[in-house]
Amino acid sequence: MKLGVYIHIPFCRRKCLYCDFPSSAEDDPFIYESYITALCREIAGRGGILSDCTVDSVYIGGGTPTILSGEQLTTLVNCLKHYCHIERDAEFTVEANPDTVSSDKLAVLRFLGVNRLSIGVQSFDDGVLKAAGRVHSAAAAVEAVTVAKSCGFDHISIDLMYGLPMQSQDSFQADLIAAAKLSIGHISVYGLKVEAGTPFAAMLASENLVLPVEDEEDAMYQMATTFFPEQGYRRYEISNYACPGCECRHNLKYWRYQPYLGLGAAAHSFWQGERFSNTSDYREYIRLLEQRKLPVVQREVPDAMTAMAEYAFLALRTAEGLDYGAFKERFGVDFTARYGAVIAEMTAKGALATENGRIYLTATGMKYGNLVFAAFLPD
Amino acid sequence: MNTVNIRNFSIIAHIDHGKSTLADRLLEYTGTLTAREMEDQVLDQMELERERGITIKAQSVQLNYKARDGQTYMLNLIDTPGHVDFTYEVSRSLAACEGALLVVDAAQGIEAQTMANVYLALEHDLEIIPVINKIDLPSADPERVKQEIEDVIGLDTSDAVLASAKTGIGIEEILEAIVRKIPSPKGDNDAPLRALIFDSHFDSYKGVIVYVRVVDGCIKPGMKIKMMATEKIFEVNEVGVFRPYLVGVDELGPGQVGFFAASIKNVKDSRVGDTVTDGERPVREPLPGYRKVTPMVFCGLYPVESSDYDNLRDALEKLQLNDAALIFEPETSVALGFGFRCGFLGLLHMDVIQERLEREYNLALITTAPNVIYMVYKTDGEVCRIDNPSNLPTPQEIDHIDEPYVKATVIVPNDYVGSVMELSQEKRGEFKDMKYLDTSRVMLTYHLPLSEIIYDYFDRLKSSTRGYASLDYELIGYQASNLVKLDILLNGTPVDALSVIVHSERAQYRGRLLAEKLRGIIPRQMFEIPIQAAIGNKVIARETVRAMRKDVLAKCYGGDITRKRKLLEKQKEGKKRMKQVGNVEVPQEAFMAILKMD
Repeated sequence: MKLGVYIHIPFCRRKCLYCDFPSSAEDDPFIYESYITALCREIAGRGGILSDCTVDSVYIGGGTPTILSGEQLTTLVNCLKHYCHIERDAEFTVEANPDTVSSDKLAVLRFLGVNRLSIGVQSFDDGVLKAAGRVHSAAAAVEAVTVAKSCGFDHISIDLMYGLPMQSQDSFQADLIAAAKLSIGHISVYGLKVEAGTPFAAMLASENLVLPVEDEEDAMYQMATTFFPEQGYRRYEISNYACPGCECRHNLKYWRYQPYLGLGAAAHSFWQGERFSNTSDYREYIRLLEQRKLPVVQREVPDAMTAMAEYAFLALRTAEGLDYGAFKERFGVDFTARYGAVIAEMTAKGALATENGRIYLTATGMKYGNLVFAAFLPD
Repeated sequence: MNTVNIRNFSIIAHIDHGKSTLADRLLEYTGTLTAREMEDQVLDQMELERERGITIKAQSVQLNYKARDGQTYMLNLIDTPGHVDFTYEVSRSLAACEGALLVVDAAQGIEAQTMANVYLALEHDLEIIPVINKIDLPSADPERVKQEIEDVIGLDTSDAVLASAKTGIGIEEILEAIVRKIPSPKGDNDAPLRALIFDSHFDSYKGVIVYVRVVDGCIKPGMKIKMMATEKIFEVNEVGVFRPYLVGVDELGPGQVGFFAASIKNVKDSRVGDTVTDGERPVREPLPGYRKVTPMVFCGLYPVESSDYDNLRDALEKLQLNDAALIFEPETSVALGFGFRCGFLGLLHMDVIQERLEREYNLALITTAPNVIYMVYKTDGEVCRIDNPSNLPTPQEIDHIDEPYVKATVIVPNDYVGSVMELSQEKRGEFKDMKYLDTSRVMLTYHLPLSEIIYDYFDRLKSSTRGYASLDYELIGYQASNLVKLDILLNGTPVDALSVIVHSERAQYRGRLLAEKLRGIIPRQMFEIPIQAAIGNKVIARETVRAMRKDVLAKCYGGDITRKRKLLEKQKEGKKRMKQVGNVEVPQEAFMAILKMD
């Protein structure tokens, strides 16, 4: 059985103003050590699953994994390799921020077998970066990509955001052109969503945050969706663009309903039809593992109807969409029979299209994905 | 009990003139309920009635009163609703009585609906006892109110009781007046049973509980009775009275008011207004019964979930059991699917039925805008009754259309006469009469199209007179009007359930307003939605609902699918009460938008 492994590093130099991910700026230098130790204990505790599978994708995300020292990263990866077999041509991604990538550290990552780097750029406009609370400059982002290439990374991805404060259609257009000029294989584009509990949410409530108006934000979305395909990047998922062969194999596992094991605080797993997740409090995570306990705090086995709905809304995120044959094989249920009414409604509204035994979101459908997804959920 | 010691009466009063409080005091004074059992306004049992402070269904209660003459009397109070919509219910209550208390607020004087109900009582030959209530108020002017009653209704008020139900003044005098002035029922104990059904309700254990006023003979458990309308025979297994809870008794004799159960499973076997007689010794002639009611206001009722269609039909049947004024028949709408066209006495009646369906039967409903019945004279000589705007023939086929008119009586302080006249003029009213009731109050009479009354006349009347005006109306017949059908197109497709019939001079204005209103009600969707108002092929107004904002979860962070799913579930929940019309999702309230436009 093939398995994807996700490892979460919940630390950052500084937390961005929009971020609601499990990560924090932590001054205590010893906490990193304790966390790596805890991770190694969790890996050891998951020896059963890990030894049953061959790992064909590893994704170390965060937070900012590259905030860890070369030694710490080495300890972690070596421990993982001790407990599982990572395929030779496995995809091995590490997330990085431009301010944490020195050529030394990238060399260590290459040596450990990391072959893909995902860099959080967000924008090439210093004013926009500052307003979002990013710690790096636009120049540092370009430099990071150059360094990564020189260290031998063939697969590089960057993240871009739109709808940020201080951002205009013109500045976003410049971001798109700057991104294309990097000649990398993969670009993710996310719209800003002001999440509850973030500094942005508080600023919005006190009217100290000015965001692009709806029409501007909409124009930026349209710009990205037309620009990258023109540059040879296929929109293979709602938020992701890639040159042929550069799609992120690890993320595709989520959308294709394939198993993955999440390690570290706040990590989520999907194994043998069960979804489970670890505590998102990394101090508690460390404590539990010191006591040799599993850090799992939530478990759920979705019933058949829920599982089918999940399968549908995940598959529909991708350009390839949902394959009727694959669905039937997994659930023993005919997709068109089960969801006939939804398919008819959404097709009439121009959100879904069908072709050669698969169903996928149209451009309209991608824009209003949530409405389509929600329709597949059981009542 | 001998019929000589029985008194059957009801209370006629305008809303807020203190009927419920008075009823409570009577119950308390006669010890029918102990103070501990007393809840405020015991008679308004329906939750909805409590909330709105109105009486919808006639309720009854039996009081035992030891009078000053030393004898004990059985007093049956049959409650009456005070709203113009429920005139029919009033006549049901009155037919079971020999007398009525006319309760009038000592500060406010008589109101339009009170008058209507008094005239109904006089039609039934009832003895009327005027009661001037709320005399404890600083603004009370009992003498003026007495004079008004004499002038306007022509009742002798020399014996009127001055009372304050709130403080308990005059309660004993009222009870004495009931005993002395209201005649005892006449009836023959040995004659074959004749009893009038004035109400009923369904009990899931006992079947139909039939409310009757016995005229002759008696009814007791074990006897066979026959329903004269259906000729069906049942065996009585329980009889009782209202105190105000149902309490079993051995028998109900002539003049008595009470209930019986006879394992009647089918609600249709107990018709209000029908006569119950002895199954073995039936009488030949039924009692006069009730005037047949004609619903005046019609609307479509559709389940939001089409799977609820059968539940809706069952619920309507149950409600119809004790509400003969409610009529319904199946209809189909292109936009809304299968539902019912329902007829009501008026807007409040419609509102109440809709709310009872939603609350008591847990149904999610879509109500279309109410309309009256139009008589359409076609060019080929055919005449049709149209109770649904979407059934209106094409303009080419129509010679002319008649619409129902009412005689509306408005009583208002003279300061507001100008505003009432202005409003009535605007609503196509024809002025008929103006009469001073006293130095400060005026009674205005207009002939108005009923459709204007159900549209917003009453609301506007209330607001333009700061709530001082009271209104009563009765149907007087049909008149030709210049009417057209206003259609609404959503996304280019006509939506039948949104069509309305309007006066041609108002069509432009209402069309514009309706389109504007709908733009506010219909949520933004995946695509732009044009809203057009049209008369025939001519579009008279256009609005656009913009396509909605992008709505897609950007990132499936770290494989946390459960959280994403929960977000989607929440989103789905919020959408449930929409109706899919073509490709457009339309909220329930859109179908009533025309009523809420000003």
